[in-house]
Amino acid sequence: MAENMAVRRVTIAGQPFVLRRSDVLRTLRNVEPEPISSHFVVVGSRRFPPKQVISEVTGLDRADFTTHQARRTLLRLGFAAGRRGSGPKAGPAMSEAPDESLAERMRDFTGEWIAIKDDEILHASSTPQALVRWLGNHGQKADSVFRVPEDDLAASGLAPL
Amino acid sequence: MRFNFREIPDAGRATVRARPILDLVVEGLDIAPQACLLDTGATAIRLGAHVAELCGIDITKSPETKIAVGGALVAARMAIVSLQITKENDAHEWSAPVWFCEPWTPAFGLLGLTGFFDHFQITIAAYDEWFELTPTNA
Repeated sequence: MAENMAVRRVTIAGQPFVLRRSDVLRTLRNVEPEPISSHFVVVGSRRFPPKQVISEVTGLDRADFTTHQARRTLLRLGFAAGRRGSGPKAGPAMSEAPDESLAERMRDFTGEWIAIKDDEILHASSTPQALVRWLGNHGQKADSVFRVPEDDLAASGLAPL
Repeated sequence: MRFNFREIPDAGRATVRARPILDLVVEGLDIAPQACLLDTGATAIRLGAHVAELCGIDITKSPETKIAVGGALVAARMAIVSLQITKENDAHEWSAPVWFCEPWTPAFGLLGLTGFFDHFQITIAAYDEWFELTPTNA
């Protein structure tokens, strides 16, 4: 990742900000992604609505800026962006573009419980209870729920010999 | 109803083998269908005990038995529950005994002979990576 891409001076809703890619990653680390209605960005292998990300890192109200502004800002910081139902579009010098199969994308969630919908990873949690709670709280309906196998035993259902 | 095999990664392995996996709505919990592997080696349907908790199924009054899952003994309690599978606009619902197991090592449920295989006529085309289910009471 080029250094000049890792830091951006931007003006959003009339306010100047200095945004660092590392700050975005750190801020979003413990934030639950909200459901994706259309656009998303990939932060730390998870998909977030662009406005949620910008709101989290700037503290701005989401009504103060557009999805397009948020998406463009995050693309410039090197995050991948995409739209539900189509492949993600990589930002410049993108390092985490998940233009790969669903199974490959699941590897980022090894050992976690994930909810799948329309071949997208809707959400991941450390427990099935938390995952179902998230689905219920966000009015979401998954196609499939399971834990991404962390080893051969989990993948095959076999016990150790 | 025809379903394609599904790829689920196996940690530590570079390749992914697609397998016959089916999503099962347990006791009407349709926001979170449980991924289950078709398993002719299982004598019945086995799910993790957490599924009973998520679905609000009281298994505490059911006697605990020890059953073998993949060669290991686990504690299991049985309940007869409603199960549903869907494919686009097609759906099929039935009731079957399910053993809820603790601890549960597999990443998904296991669909075995009683309650699943004895409920459908099943064609598995592993080479082409699909399987087809026809309810026997259809």
